[in-house]
Amino acid sequence: MKKVYRLALVISVLSTSCVDLDIPPTNIIGDEDLLTNESGMEVYLARMYSHMPFEDFKYMAQWGVEFNSWLGAMGIEGTGEALNRDGISTAFTGERTPYWSMAMTLLRDANYLIENLPLHEDAFPESRYNHYLGEAYFVRAFVFSAMARRFGGVPLVTRVINYPADPEALEVPRASEEETWNQVLADFDQAVELLLPTSPKRGYANRYVALAFKSEAMLYAGSVAKYNETVPGRLTGLGEKTGVRVIGFAENSWRAASIKYFREAYNAAQEIIKSRNYSLYKKRWVANDREAQYQNMVDMFSDLESPENIYVKEYSFPVATHGYDAYSAPFIFKAPLASGTCPTLDFLELFEGFDRYPDGTIKVTTGNSNTQGQYLLYDTPLDFFKDAEPRLRAYVIFPGDRFKGTDIEIRAGVYTGAEPIQPLFNDYSYQAAETRYQHLNAYRANPKTLYLSPREGSSQEVVTYNGTQMTAAGANGPFFDNGEGCLTGLYGRKWLNPDPSFEAGEGRSDQHFVLMRYAEVLLNAAEAAVELALAGEPSPDGADLMQVATQAINDIRERAGASLLSGAITPDENGRNIVRKERRKELALEHKSKWDIRRWRVQHYEGRDGFWGEYRNKDAFSNNTRYRFRGLYPFFSTESGKYFFDARFQWVSLKTFEYNIVDYYFAIPGGEVSKSPVIDQQPNR
Amino acid sequence: MKQLTFFILLISSFFLASCSLFELDNYDAPAETLWGEVVDVATGERVLTDQGSEGIRVRLIETSWGDNVVPNPDFFCMPDGTFQHTKLFKGRYNVQVDGPFIPLLREDERGVPLADETKDIDIEGVTKVRFEVQPFLKVEWVEEPRVSNGKIQAKVRVTRAVSESEFREKIEPMGGYSSSFQNMTDIQLFVSYSATVGYRARDERWSSAIEYSGSSFNSLFGEAITIESNGTIPSGRIVFIRAAARINYDTPRGSGTRRWNYSEPIEVMVP
Repeated sequence: MKKVYRLALVISVLSTSCVDLDIPPTNIIGDEDLLTNESGMEVYLARMYSHMPFEDFKYMAQWGVEFNSWLGAMGIEGTGEALNRDGISTAFTGERTPYWSMAMTLLRDANYLIENLPLHEDAFPESRYNHYLGEAYFVRAFVFSAMARRFGGVPLVTRVINYPADPEALEVPRASEEETWNQVLADFDQAVELLLPTSPKRGYANRYVALAFKSEAMLYAGSVAKYNETVPGRLTGLGEKTGVRVIGFAENSWRAASIKYFREAYNAAQEIIKSRNYSLYKKRWVANDREAQYQNMVDMFSDLESPENIYVKEYSFPVATHGYDAYSAPFIFKAPLASGTCPTLDFLELFEGFDRYPDGTIKVTTGNSNTQGQYLLYDTPLDFFKDAEPRLRAYVIFPGDRFKGTDIEIRAGVYTGAEPIQPLFNDYSYQAAETRYQHLNAYRANPKTLYLSPREGSSQEVVTYNGTQMTAAGANGPFFDNGEGCLTGLYGRKWLNPDPSFEAGEGRSDQHFVLMRYAEVLLNAAEAAVELALAGEPSPDGADLMQVATQAINDIRERAGASLLSGAITPDENGRNIVRKERRKELALEHKSKWDIRRWRVQHYEGRDGFWGEYRNKDAFSNNTRYRFRGLYPFFSTESGKYFFDARFQWVSLKTFEYNIVDYYFAIPGGEVSKSPVIDQQPNR
Repeated sequence: MKQLTFFILLISSFFLASCSLFELDNYDAPAETLWGEVVDVATGERVLTDQGSEGIRVRLIETSWGDNVVPNPDFFCMPDGTFQHTKLFKGRYNVQVDGPFIPLLREDERGVPLADETKDIDIEGVTKVRFEVQPFLKVEWVEEPRVSNGKIQAKVRVTRAVSESEFREKIEPMGGYSSSFQNMTDIQLFVSYSATVGYRARDERWSSAIEYSGSSFNSLFGEAITIESNGTIPSGRIVFIRAAARINYDTPRGSGTRRWNYSEPIEVMVP
């Protein structure tokens, strides 16, 4: 027996060292399997696409590209569109997972295809071969532009780097920001040239997809080149190790660069417009019918066949799902969480259909500001919104509006005092934001005239009204001690599944996400046109620049049910702001605005007057580097049985955002800087 | 059975031998201290600041470690203009401070050094370092602040601590010079319950600011400026106030952070 053990031991030691297994493994798939036929290419492309830094339901600005739909919410990253109770609702100053090493993996996939597909050129018809090559350039352009938006100049890895190799060959320093954007431009141009005009298969890119993302990227590049100059200290600098201008543009090159990029953005957008392949979604749109216009804009996000969709990320239950409805639906649909996306009053104020004070803010009292006069009374909360722009109603659920066949009751509290009612606070300023309804004497006195609820269910305070028991807060809140109720008095409607029979849950949602739509192309054309005109440039294609911009804005406004422009857009800052504001409205809650306010350089204190696309006094919502947003809170008054609204800074889970100039370029991950002799940290950090 | 146990023990002893399981990790803990102060070269007074990323930043680079060292995590001066770090490894360091004063490290646009007043020192035991700098502004109280109805009214005098010509002489070669750099842009009155009052510890309800556009402040240098707190401070409380002012110049260049020069904090009783 002893011998057997010894023998076994000896054999096991020997067997590990003596066999030379120099046989090609049959279970590893190689180029001959993948790059020689369509189904193999599909596998290759699927891998690249599943790693693309798309910002959809599985993207959270605070976390970065993690492909994770947990806590899914839109517009909460300090854009002012919406608020969320959690720590994920902070300004876009960095990402938990920096988009760096993941980008390198994807770049390698793209570069590998660019280098190795030509070896198998014969395997495909020419147009198919070109298309596949174009896909690789599209991926590379997309990745470089995603990195450039975050970091400025990045290492331009345009070849497969084999390891091990000389350190020389392995180390790629950051290029200048200008070179990086030029690479993005060159790769998009290659992609546009090679890709087929229509996607050969659902989900593949095509020529127009590449053009659309090109115009988006070039608009970013042009804006950065131009608006870095408006930032105190001229946002630019040289890398310490390489002396390369890793962020910003040189004093003598920014102007020409910005014009060049704006021209590219304009041309790319115009090419899509002129192709007439896409159009604004108007399937249910009827002129002068607000209800139809509203329903039309709700449907456009759930209609997979919308002619407006240029590029879409599809989901399919149960194999590829997300959980947006599980986190961002109204509180009564809680499954398992709710109220992740609560739009702000400041956002609502972008839209038409409300009475205003002389300073442009929404009117809730009879006076000239919300500290003066008495509250205006409404029979139902929805009366306040009866003239609201149909587009706003499609994006936002108002208090008392319907969603999934149910009334969405949102009520901050019940007022039992005498009418007319004076404003609840005498100070509504930023500084007073931390004084809340529950601190008011009307609530704390005994007997009290203001009823509020700390939480839902049995924690609700109850008022007897006309013999019936009425809860102080609405079924969806807001509850002053529970951030899971409504935070601002409003809910996001965009992207939520409107089907009453749909039961939300984690990983149960499968509505698609529109990554690129025709409306953005129109807005890109308009903005680039105005910027070119502002720079005194002639039209690149002979079309009247102002006419292009005006037409684009009017088309979007008409579909949205908003009033049309009274005249042509003018080539000045006012004209530019008309375009910017339209963009802020149309593309809200789509992961787009955070990039817009970033490239306009309007997030830091000195530039914050332009935060909303239009001019708004920054001191009304900020204190130096910090800023806050407001909610619109409906109250029920028992004397007349009517509703009134109070406009104040976020009452529940107050978020204070902070943004500094250094945040316009994210820090390079520290590990990448310390392990490499050539990767520079941002010079201003 | 006994044999098997023996074999298992024998084999597992190989595993244990290969790792330094019982070796002592005897690298010395970082225990050296760096103490420093930032003083105005003209007067010898310390440059007052705020402890936060808007205050005077201290950056250490351990040059004795080797090539390609990444700076140690930045830290910030205390409000009185001194700093101390008691957990440093022994070695040679480059010490740089950035604040509301003429930059110590000045380079032109292509990164060619013009002047380098940062310090390279060996840190061992308690090492002291003194930076003599030229602050942009000097901020002083003119008289005791007055309090009425929960509002504090203070008088502040702001003067230039570095002359306009000297500022220009040192900053212009760095490139991209604009005469607007020297404009005084704002005076802040920070109010807080905390004695470490400053930008970071301010109470947003009561702190206030006066902004000046362009060069409009130029005629007001040396004058007493009256600034009043916001809102109503509850009576019976003691608060601390500080005034601060800054020019339109960010340090380090490109960061966009325009740092304030501060006054002494004072304690105010709100009756």
